[in-house]
Amino acid sequence: MDFYLGLAQVIGVHTLLGLSAWCLLHTGQVSLAQGGFFAIGAYASGMLTTMAGWPLGVALPAAALISATVAVAVGFPALRVKGLMLVVATVAFAEIVRLVCFNLTWRVNTGSGPVGPDGSLGFGGIRYFPSNGWSSIEILILIWGLVAAVMLALAWFDRSRIGTLWRAVGEDEVAAQSVGINLTAAKVSAFGIGGAIAGLSGGIFAHQVTHIEHGNFTILLATFAIAYPILGGLASLWGTVLAVIFIQGFLIEGLRVLGDWRSLLFGALILLVMLLRPSGIITSPIGRWFARSIRFDRPAAPTTGGKTHA
Amino acid sequence: MLELRQLSRNFGGVKALDQLDLSVHKGEILGLIGPNGSGKSTTVNVIAGLYKPSSGSLTFNGIDLSQRSTHERAAVGIARTFQNIRLFANLSVWQNVWAAHVVRDSGWTGLRKRWLASGRTARDEVQELLAFSGLAGKADVLAGNLAFGEQRRLELARAAASGAELLLLDEPAAGMNAEEIDELDARIRSLRDQGRTILLIEHHMELVMAVCDRIAVLNFGRKIAEGTPAQVQNDAAVRGAYLGAEATATT
Repeated sequence: MDFYLGLAQVIGVHTLLGLSAWCLLHTGQVSLAQGGFFAIGAYASGMLTTMAGWPLGVALPAAALISATVAVAVGFPALRVKGLMLVVATVAFAEIVRLVCFNLTWRVNTGSGPVGPDGSLGFGGIRYFPSNGWSSIEILILIWGLVAAVMLALAWFDRSRIGTLWRAVGEDEVAAQSVGINLTAAKVSAFGIGGAIAGLSGGIFAHQVTHIEHGNFTILLATFAIAYPILGGLASLWGTVLAVIFIQGFLIEGLRVLGDWRSLLFGALILLVMLLRPSGIITSPIGRWFARSIRFDRPAAPTTGGKTHA
Repeated sequence: MLELRQLSRNFGGVKALDQLDLSVHKGEILGLIGPNGSGKSTTVNVIAGLYKPSSGSLTFNGIDLSQRSTHERAAVGIARTFQNIRLFANLSVWQNVWAAHVVRDSGWTGLRKRWLASGRTARDEVQELLAFSGLAGKADVLAGNLAFGEQRRLELARAAASGAELLLLDEPAAGMNAEEIDELDARIRSLRDQGRTILLIEHHMELVMAVCDRIAVLNFGRKIAEGTPAQVQNDAAVRGAYLGAEATATT
């Protein structure tokens, strides 16, 4: 039972991470910096609850805000590059963050001994949940409550004008500019909101696992972040959720028996999906049915008829 | 309304535009014609802000455009269509037009305006433009799934939705059949009657001669003639550019 609770928690955290990359993909930006924003959120929130003694309810939004600020700062130079060069630039950023985590040593003494990041040994003792008596179920409810809140916000956002403008930028930058869309505003806002969501998921992750270290935030994490929305397709938020369940639940945990062959299968499956369903699994008939039956995240569809007068 | 003065644009050693002077007056349909490679599309791209002029000045209603980026030019009232259609292919027809419409009320003033108008007018206007373009029944269709002629109509609707005073139409009749060109003719006139100014770049001479109030002719980046359709048709330099120097000599 504990195994499944833990898995459901991991899926929730990774869903948030995938949604953060979903925001950037909407504006046509393939960012591998999401793991970096995740790491910043994890370290920041962990330091706030352990070293500063903040309650989690304040530390999480603060971590999201810090990640968003860094993401906006990364977003401006990232405007100058796109496509593969953006991938390279964002990988470089994520590596910088990871190496800062690797070298960051900042211990403070609290009543129960020294706490804080300890360089390559990582940052342990982020024990907000155990010391406040949270059960696994309660943590799970918190995680999925946040997932639901973020999904609702993004669904609303996607239907709103800004979501449409984001999509327009992702479709064709030149055409978007020529109808008056400010590329800088669209791309940087996508970085900011994506960064906030990644920071939030990182903050939850740090408290869920209680010990974090640079090894949690490698390029593999960033690859996962971008793989979820690509695999799930941009048409629906549910695609990202399904992709996380598929990758984390089935490929990572379900196929553990296969040992090292798993990684090979993982790559092969991603390739297969890209070949068979280039716009994501959610565009398949089953995916469409699933998206239709859960209506709230449909893109803005107007009520036609009635007011058609030339 | 739009003034190009001594405008040049070089690509390496090639002078795509060579000291071009061109005025577009408010409320007119100005045709811009010329053989392939004469600089017509370069002119549109310089006006729209995709290319920077190498020298010369560019003003719109007294505003110096040279310091304005592409999206700012759309905001002051210049919209365009593209020679090779550039729609938001995975957005619905409705969203394509809506995106162009709503972007002008973004920001704080727009937010307040929308709050007061509760967003009704934008939807009505988009719906009207779709009806105007004969796309009202296809609002939910993805733009990429439209037939070619419909895509051209949608691009025109999207440009009009941005609220622009000046529409730059880059070969809107390319690939259209006679019936579609007649419809396009009526739409261009109708847009003008709504108070828009139109710069029409087109190879289809019948359309240009029928719809334009004035025509400017380019060749090798220079303006070789300007005047009413009748004047331009009888201009020796224009005949030379299109038919070759010998033809001019014999006619």
